[in-house]
Amino acid sequence: MKDFKKLIEEKHDEIRPQFEEGGKLEKLYPLFEAQDTFAFTPPDTTKGMTHVRDAVDLKRVMFTVVIALIPCLLWGIFNAGHQYYHYSGIEAGLFATLFRGMLIVMPIVLTSYIVGGIWEVTFAIVRKHEINEGFLVTGLLFPLTLPPTIALWQVAVGISFGVVVGKEVFGGTGFNILNPALTARAYLFFAHAKDMTGEIWAAAKDGATGATPLGLGASFGGEGLDVKAALADRGHTFWSMFGGLEAGSIGETSVIPILLGAGILIVAGIGSWRIMVGGCVGLAFTAILMNFMPTQGLEAGKMVQFTTWTQIPFLYHFVMGSFLFGIVFMATDPVSAAATNVGKWIYGALIGVVTVLVRITNPGFPEGVMLAILFMNVMAPIIDYYVVQGHIKNRNANLRKFSYAKG
Amino acid sequence: MSADFTISKGLDLPIVGAPGTTIRSVSTRGTVSVFPSEFKKLKFKCLVEEGDTVSRGAKLARRKDVPEFFVCSPVAGTVKAIHLGDRRSLKEIVIAPDGSDNSEEFQSFTVEGILRAKAENVMAVLLESGMWGVIRQRPFNRIADPAAKPKSIFVNGMATAPFRPDAHVLAQGKGDEIQLALKALTLFTDGPVHVNLSSAAKEVSDPLTEASHVQINYFDGPHPSGNTSTHIHHLDPIIPGDTVWTLRVSDLIKIGELLLTGRLPNQQRMVLAGEGFKEEARGYVDVDTGMSLADVLGNSLRDGAQRIIRGDLLAGEAVDPADTGVYFYDEGFVALPEDTERHFLGWYAPTKTQYSAHKVVPSNWLKDKLFSFGTNLRGGHRAMVLTGIYDPYVTLDIMVDPLIRACLAGETEDAIAMGILESEPEDYALCTFICPSKTDFGKPIAETLDLIEQEGF
Repeated sequence: MKDFKKLIEEKHDEIRPQFEEGGKLEKLYPLFEAQDTFAFTPPDTTKGMTHVRDAVDLKRVMFTVVIALIPCLLWGIFNAGHQYYHYSGIEAGLFATLFRGMLIVMPIVLTSYIVGGIWEVTFAIVRKHEINEGFLVTGLLFPLTLPPTIALWQVAVGISFGVVVGKEVFGGTGFNILNPALTARAYLFFAHAKDMTGEIWAAAKDGATGATPLGLGASFGGEGLDVKAALADRGHTFWSMFGGLEAGSIGETSVIPILLGAGILIVAGIGSWRIMVGGCVGLAFTAILMNFMPTQGLEAGKMVQFTTWTQIPFLYHFVMGSFLFGIVFMATDPVSAAATNVGKWIYGALIGVVTVLVRITNPGFPEGVMLAILFMNVMAPIIDYYVVQGHIKNRNANLRKFSYAKG
Repeated sequence: MSADFTISKGLDLPIVGAPGTTIRSVSTRGTVSVFPSEFKKLKFKCLVEEGDTVSRGAKLARRKDVPEFFVCSPVAGTVKAIHLGDRRSLKEIVIAPDGSDNSEEFQSFTVEGILRAKAENVMAVLLESGMWGVIRQRPFNRIADPAAKPKSIFVNGMATAPFRPDAHVLAQGKGDEIQLALKALTLFTDGPVHVNLSSAAKEVSDPLTEASHVQINYFDGPHPSGNTSTHIHHLDPIIPGDTVWTLRVSDLIKIGELLLTGRLPNQQRMVLAGEGFKEEARGYVDVDTGMSLADVLGNSLRDGAQRIIRGDLLAGEAVDPADTGVYFYDEGFVALPEDTERHFLGWYAPTKTQYSAHKVVPSNWLKDKLFSFGTNLRGGHRAMVLTGIYDPYVTLDIMVDPLIRACLAGETEDAIAMGILESEPEDYALCTFICPSKTDFGKPIAETLDLIEQEGF
């Protein structure tokens, strides 16, 4: 190990001059810097008035998010293999399922990393700044939000849109308004809607439609049926959706790996628990409120049955679709979320509220969480603005109290 | 009167190299220097020429904008050299001591009599001797304006930044000086004089805890519970337009010596600490004011490259010991090993030897362990990404994220509304320390404060 380390260090020192100022490959310095600081911590020392620094750096923070995503990735691989064999009507063992899942999922992940990485490096070279580790997260988050049947060229187009339009046009990581991974997904969702939603495993065996529970639910008409029973009829109970052995996007179907990831993020102090809890409260509150909506009423003088989709129990909202995945991994992206602690509560809660509203009131978009998060990304600066104004008001009131108390 | 405060925010760095309580003495072997440049941003006019003979307390330079304020010589001798710095500012006046005891005599006071003295007389002594320079004014932390009437005066007796000296060690044997100086301060304000001490000192009886005519307050909690901004915020916060004066215990002692003896003090007690010092050298030293820093350090440094820091680790200034001396305002120096070592895969290796305040780094889970710190940045500069992680390290009623953004954007009005005038760059030092993007908070805060001071508000 020591020799290996030494060898790498020597090789780096050998090629370093070519990348430094005046060298042949000077322009590619960000690429060298990324590789060099990946192998070894940088030798830089502190400047300015604070002379000591914490051992944490952004590489560690970002990579911890990647680690938190790994349970979802593993589950996604298994589930993709399982769905493949399920809809092909073939019985397969665990190993074959995993292997098939790898064949389906890994190309998607690799495409996302490679194509997105090329953009990231290009911008770093043109702008002459370091390659930001945030891309490690975006490059994995994005494929996990895609259906496993997506075409690779679509993945490439999507991540290109996400990185370039979602992030780099604003100035790169730290300056973007929208979450780049979600921007990429939203682009695919609107540009290639039929490949992104509904009956993704259409190569079906008899009787199976391959529809996701949310897609199904949105298609229920106003026939006055019991939603729970109707879903159960089609094979979706609370616990089956909790377990997640079902059609859906790669990373979001099962609740268990998402909760594992949430645990990692919260214990490590990286993901904001305020946003997560706020989101869950907002979702539950709105879903319960929706349950009180009338299911029938007068329309043009006739008593008609409205959609029963409003009657779905609030717990179902947590396990259907990608709400948990979104609130844990997407909404907590600190760059596009609200920056103040109070703001995070409001931001999270409103994501929950908007998710239910989109799901229930707009059957055109069965999944509301993506739109909800993007919408609240845009609103986050406004939330922060009012939180800060409120804080300033409180501050001044406190200061005034002090001067009165002194007479 | 007294008040107790418990501060829950903040962080005490678990760092090796704390000083002992031994006090040794070092004397100058060569020349003594006076550094008008230590009063940053102020302009001075030199009053002496090379070859002039000066006595202890003789006027060497005069402030251009406040003509009553002088810089005076701590020793009797001959002016050997006058060094100019950037833009021909007066940087250093070198004096070769002649060993004589020639001294200017200023008016002296007694501990009992000072309360009957006129404030103008006391002020005149402080201004003429240059001692006025130790009294500072907030906001902007500049030398106090003699014409201003502060609403209260704060004496800091409990600096918590590593490694600020323990005020109680400084105060040993200086009871009369401290009491005299505190009484003198009461002449300058209609409000209270606050002496702020660590709650750990409650059981101690020494010149600080037994001071009279002042309000003694006790603060409990981790750094920055000992920052003057914390004390002001909890006792008498600065509303735009207010002025408060601030001092440290070492300043009290100097003022007390001057007023008691009528002679300019020429010695001061400092702390030497940090891992860069040999273990036996970590402690307190009595030094001659203005002596060369290289003489103070002698051979007390450990082998290897060391960074010498004037002040403390979190808000200090790196200096070259060969090029500077003991400033009038100095309270101590820290030696920190230069660390440019590169660690293989160190960005994710579960380090046990490098401290972190973040749970994401495994060393954070080790409790009650002291860590070595070097000068290494321990990462690379990146855009700021995480939010809301700085607030637990600032004790003032300030939201750090919006404030730093306002500062970076040059929005001085927003920054004032958010409370920047209550703070100093040192109050954000812990934010700099813990930032995963390695952002330096001190610089934008300092620049914004400068901008506000220039523009007025």
